[in-house]
Amino acid sequence: MSTAIEKTEEMEAIDGPPVLVGRPDDRALTESLLAPVLGPTRKGWLMMVGALLCGVAFWIVSLVATLFIGIGVWGNNIPVAWAFDITNFVWWIGIGHAGTLISAILLLFQQKWRTSINRFAEAMTLFAVAMAGAYPVIHLGRPWLFWWLIPYPSTTQIWPNFKSALPWDVFAISTYATVSFLFWFLGLIPDLATARDAAKSRAQRIAYGILSFGWRGSARHWQHYRIGYLLLAGLSTPLVVSVHTIVSFDFAISQLPGWHTTIFPPYFVAGAIFSGFAMVMTLMIPARRLLGYQQVVTPRHLENMAKVMLATGLMVTYGYVMEHFVAWYSGSEGEAFAFLNRWTGDYKVIWYAQLLCNVLTPQIFWFKWARRSEVVLFVASILINIGMWAERFVIIAVSLTRDFVPSSWANYYPTWVDWGLLFGSISMFLFLFLLFLRFLPAIPIFEVKELKRELEHAGPAHPPAPSEVRP
Amino acid sequence: MTKRYVLAEFEREGVILEAARALRGKGHEALDIHSPYPLHGTDEALGLKRSTVPLVALAAGVTGAVSGYLLQYGTVAFLWPLNVGNRPPHSAPAFIPVTFELGVLFAALAIFGGLLFAYFRFPRVHHPVFEVEAFRSASIDALWLSAEVDGAQVDGVAEELRRLGARQVSVVGEGTP
Repeated sequence: MSTAIEKTEEMEAIDGPPVLVGRPDDRALTESLLAPVLGPTRKGWLMMVGALLCGVAFWIVSLVATLFIGIGVWGNNIPVAWAFDITNFVWWIGIGHAGTLISAILLLFQQKWRTSINRFAEAMTLFAVAMAGAYPVIHLGRPWLFWWLIPYPSTTQIWPNFKSALPWDVFAISTYATVSFLFWFLGLIPDLATARDAAKSRAQRIAYGILSFGWRGSARHWQHYRIGYLLLAGLSTPLVVSVHTIVSFDFAISQLPGWHTTIFPPYFVAGAIFSGFAMVMTLMIPARRLLGYQQVVTPRHLENMAKVMLATGLMVTYGYVMEHFVAWYSGSEGEAFAFLNRWTGDYKVIWYAQLLCNVLTPQIFWFKWARRSEVVLFVASILINIGMWAERFVIIAVSLTRDFVPSSWANYYPTWVDWGLLFGSISMFLFLFLLFLRFLPAIPIFEVKELKRELEHAGPAHPPAPSEVRP
Repeated sequence: MTKRYVLAEFEREGVILEAARALRGKGHEALDIHSPYPLHGTDEALGLKRSTVPLVALAAGVTGAVSGYLLQYGTVAFLWPLNVGNRPPHSAPAFIPVTFELGVLFAALAIFGGLLFAYFRFPRVHHPVFEVEAFRSASIDALWLSAEVDGAQVDGVAEELRRLGARQVSVVGEGTP
């Protein structure tokens, strides 16, 4: 036994901390992972929901003001026709992308550490996309006519212009939302069946029974399920890249200095992953403590996510440098001015905040102690969230304030409705997330059980728990 | 002849797979294994054929992509050629994003809908195996083997499963509590 323990320490030194602490037996694992779902409602949860509902109310008031009065209640006006709304849209979509990255791309690369956090990240994707999707619709001005975006045979015989990036957006976002939901729900089905079977009350048993569609863990089903799940992951991988590429086309295809940049697609995708991992971190650090998931979400997960943030942070920094280089190298006066305006214009404070949050903050993750400190990770993740929002604002709104013709220059100032839609959507997102944590298994139970088998197969990383020693 | 289910709970992966092989060797083909997580080796032990899900996904994906392209060609280049910025009505590069998205969308819907409604024949919230209260462990920590056999063979199969190492054996049938 002592050699096994020595080996563990040796392996830790090379591999980092374990992805699963100890080897709990399956029943104990199921009970601990389902405790927040099947147990009684906690006071702390109710208090958080209550506080968030205030923010949600602010969101609803802002939405109602927008719908009844019109988008004149926002600070948007020509030349800044796109401001907070589209900034928030791109920001939320970007946040969503990390969920797909964790669940799909890391699955295909067989990164075992993704197992415990994928469901969590996918739920984040779903809610982030829901928040994102609201902005372009309310920005339509007459959102009740949103179905004009869909190609259908109307009496006017006019069809969407498929040579414009905006109809691409409609298809990309709606496909992304649908596929994310299907992927998430397919992953949930076996765990909903587990919740049904571990349920304490009849109501829970009926509710989870219906939601699980009658899953009975049949080998005949698992066979197709595994292939189907893997294929969905395979489809989601290019999908996530395509979605943010198409979002970046909204800007890159135009002629506006600051938008008209060929580096946008990869730079937007890297930024999306960067901000998304930051959001997973922001949510996961408190959640793993409050819900007691430390056994399955270990410092190893946090450290790996920090490494991804460092890598994508450097890619984003490269994007900033190249944008400036191309602006100078193009010899175009308008391009050069757009970038000079970032450093010296009226919105320079936001630009400096962006550099501080997105370029400097992730550099701390070069140090191991920072990647292992929950406080540092939490603060850094919030800064990165802010920085990525600032980046989108600088690209979208600040570029619009100064276009080619100086006579049409004008600044943009948000109104209370703009702020309400931003903070309200954050509240709504967190509210949906709390509902998810309360009512659905946030950690994929069956995948953790499978992971446990794989780790056991690879050799005992830890001495077996007493409950597991069998006669 | 009424069909009845013999359910047997096992603890270890190797034992249940061996039991499935043994029963199949005796001519029982209507077997199934229920486990909380996907087990390795069940395909071989139960003699399952290769899954056809990838073919369904491919067919749906191709259908989606082709219809996506035709939708754009038909509406923008054929039904109502719209001149925007003097680009040709049929602009293939501009049609790529929607073609791709619809391909993915169709494939994903086919995988999800196909799995649930065709391969699994869900929703089926009630199934004879759920008659056994102890079967709840099939999604928590135990492995179950179910054999669908003729009424006359029930006792023999149950005895056989006990001999093969089952922890407990129960019998249920359609309409039999």
